[in-house]
Amino acid sequence: MNSTNTSALVNGRPVTINGQGATTLLEFLRNSLGLTGTKEGCSEGECGACTVLIDGRPITSCLYPALAAEGRNIETIEGMNEGSDLSPVQKALVATGGIQCGFCTPGFVMTLTALLRKQPNPSSNEIASALAGNLCRCTGYSQIVEAAMSLSELEEES
Amino acid sequence: MEFRRSGDLDEALTSLAELGDKAQVLAGGTDVMIQLERGEISPETLVHIERVEGMRDIAENGRLTLGALVTHIDLAQSPVLCDRYQSVAHAASLVGGWQTQAVGTIGGNVCNASPAADLLPPLLVHGANVLLVSKDRGEREVPLDDFVVGRRTIAREPDELVTGFSLDNSEGRTADVYKKVGRRGAMEVAIVGLAIRLSVDQAGTINDARIAVCSVAPVPFRAQAAEQALLGTKANGEETSSAAALLLEQAEPIDDVRATARYRKMVLPRIFESAVAECYSRVASDLP
Repeated sequence: MNSTNTSALVNGRPVTINGQGATTLLEFLRNSLGLTGTKEGCSEGECGACTVLIDGRPITSCLYPALAAEGRNIETIEGMNEGSDLSPVQKALVATGGIQCGFCTPGFVMTLTALLRKQPNPSSNEIASALAGNLCRCTGYSQIVEAAMSLSELEEES
Repeated sequence: MEFRRSGDLDEALTSLAELGDKAQVLAGGTDVMIQLERGEISPETLVHIERVEGMRDIAENGRLTLGALVTHIDLAQSPVLCDRYQSVAHAASLVGGWQTQAVGTIGGNVCNASPAADLLPPLLVHGANVLLVSKDRGEREVPLDDFVVGRRTIAREPDELVTGFSLDNSEGRTADVYKKVGRRGAMEVAIVGLAIRLSVDQAGTINDARIAVCSVAPVPFRAQAAEQALLGTKANGEETSSAAALLLEQAEPIDDVRATARYRKMVLPRIFESAVAECYSRVASDLP
């Protein structure tokens, strides 16, 4: 097996990616860096639990080769908090009850963060469309959409 | 398994010339990584082409050229496609979720050659040619019809790379539509997918009709008999129904996890008729 080294930024910190051809970014984040906030659900790009941001774009890290992340800026749930405080998306999910078992939550936080950076005042349709690739089996989604809508309104007021 | 990064086209072609069918080309990875995980493919080397420059452009120069690394998001949001190539943009917007669309490429969707590939019907109705290049034999162009030869089988030689697609010009009174049937409105593999492109003359008579479908046969195909039936008509109900019957004759759907063959046969003429009506009204609504 050929192993290759390369480097990337994970949550602003330079890291060396060491892996074989088919090592996924998810495996690298969880097993090599110990960043277990990113969850493995379906392993096939269906559920979105493993969503991370690569150069600001949400991707399913279970389908992205770790070595393809060379030189990229990777953001995971561990990089979302602001100091000791939760991020606005995380706070909104807590406030609306958009979390039950919590397994899907890191993925939702990442996708919503990407959406709100791109479109600070999304409509509920835009939110639902952006979240098509994130599955939640507990909440029924409406509280999650509500969380994003609450931020959309807050941004409008400020 | 070796992971070989290609910094530019020349590096990618050199790798493919050296490795041939021991290599698997990888761009966004959304299909390839699943097949690796399932053990469906076991290449010695992954030739990573996602960073190759010059293959992510959407350019109009007579024909429309789409680079192989154009992502589904790029297609869905392209101002160049949003009017006269909207079947391509719309089909791309229905492939997976944001996470898949952000990295999955048009080249990958075509080369994966799934019977349900959403981009194949719209590319077929726009007369797409596949642009290929190899280190030893240079460039060649293959009609998409001849390129996808079977379920997950394409006419790419092992040392060749697909660099893009060249689509027919779409000028004048021409419109296109893509319709997809799934169990829900997003994250679906098509139960039936259908693209149609119609052109009419000043009197509103159809002088060019192109119809292509996916998920109703091992390979997405153009429905020539149905196309002929629409020529010279104004797509009234009876004429469209006759064309639908001819389309249905060409379909060979199967039962699978998503739907039965019987359901596919029921739904195909219905989405065809609604697609014809929508497309024709767009192209002829302002005519007297």
